[in-house]
Amino acid sequence: MKRLLVPAFGLLLLGGCASLDPAPHCDMSRVAGQRDLVAGPAMVEGETSPLKEMPMNSVSITDPNIIRKLYVRSIAARRTGTGTVEVVAQVVNCTDFPLNAEARTQFYANDGAASEPVSAWRRLQLPARTSNTYRELSLGDKTVDGYMIEMREGK
Amino acid sequence: MRRLPALASALAAGLALSACQSVDNSAGSPSVYIDPGSVGPVKGVGIESQDIIGMTDQMMRDMLAQPRLANAQAAPNVIIDSEYFHNESSSRLNKNSITDRLRVGLNRAAAGRMQFVGRHYADMVAKERELKRQGVVDKATLPAARAPKGGDYRLGGRITSLDSRDPKSGMMQRYNQIVFEMVDLESSEIVWSGIYEFAKAAQDDIIYR
Repeated sequence: MKRLLVPAFGLLLLGGCASLDPAPHCDMSRVAGQRDLVAGPAMVEGETSPLKEMPMNSVSITDPNIIRKLYVRSIAARRTGTGTVEVVAQVVNCTDFPLNAEARTQFYANDGAASEPVSAWRRLQLPARTSNTYRELSLGDKTVDGYMIEMREGK
Repeated sequence: MRRLPALASALAAGLALSACQSVDNSAGSPSVYIDPGSVGPVKGVGIESQDIIGMTDQMMRDMLAQPRLANAQAAPNVIIDSEYFHNESSSRLNKNSITDRLRVGLNRAAAGRMQFVGRHYADMVAKERELKRQGVVDKATLPAARAPKGGDYRLGGRITSLDSRDPKSGMMQRYNQIVFEMVDLESSEIVWSGIYEFAKAAQDDIIYR
């Protein structure tokens, strides 16, 4: 009897995991699994950074209030007609509630130094279970080689 | 028994080292200074510092991506001041704080892609030119200009708003719309437009001075 009950209980558990929620579905464990860990402190130039999850050309959700609520679906960068850089990130609100988020971008030169002042916080309104696009333009043209986007909850 | 103090100090050092491994995640010292780019403790439905910083930063970056303004063969002469930038909204604000920030930010970032004409300093320049030409003062070090610079493009724009209030709850809502345009001063063509809009709702409107 015990042998029969164990698989049946397992099936019940699996059935409980299957979700009928509408799209989008965000697997936050997979998002967490994708995050890269960098070992070692960065005390001198050229050493590995002790910061986790903030690689160049990426979006970092720096606010614990929204880290398990938003998902950055895609990120891209391109040159405009004047040679400045436009970054575009598509953000998905995975919750059943409207969310306010803010993002800003720091553009970097090829030597890793900031090439210009960080952009102002730009507000993103995300109704429940929708996506929105964050865009930012650089001030400089040839001087820009990389970027880093920070995202936090809007107040 | 002698080993005890040595053991204790080694333990203490070990503890201190292990304490360094985590972030001291406590709040910083309180300050009267606040970040002008973020919402402060006094917040209402009007245009505030974070809105001014946000809108000017956005417009500045957008103008630098516009080839007619920022990639012309000869850098255009641009006039940015509040002369043709009108506040028709119910927000009480000094519109110079918007146009000044835009001009300063753009001038610092443009790096020769645009040239800026200080038309709001025209009186100052005219007086000094007059004194030089009358011989009251010497010619200074820069070569004399035949005439002050003319403008190729000038900033125009408008701030408008739409207010609504719920008399039962006292809740106030305001939609703010700020339009920025660059106008060709020969043909009157609008060569670039930017819009910044937002709506805010709060229980009671605060007093802006």
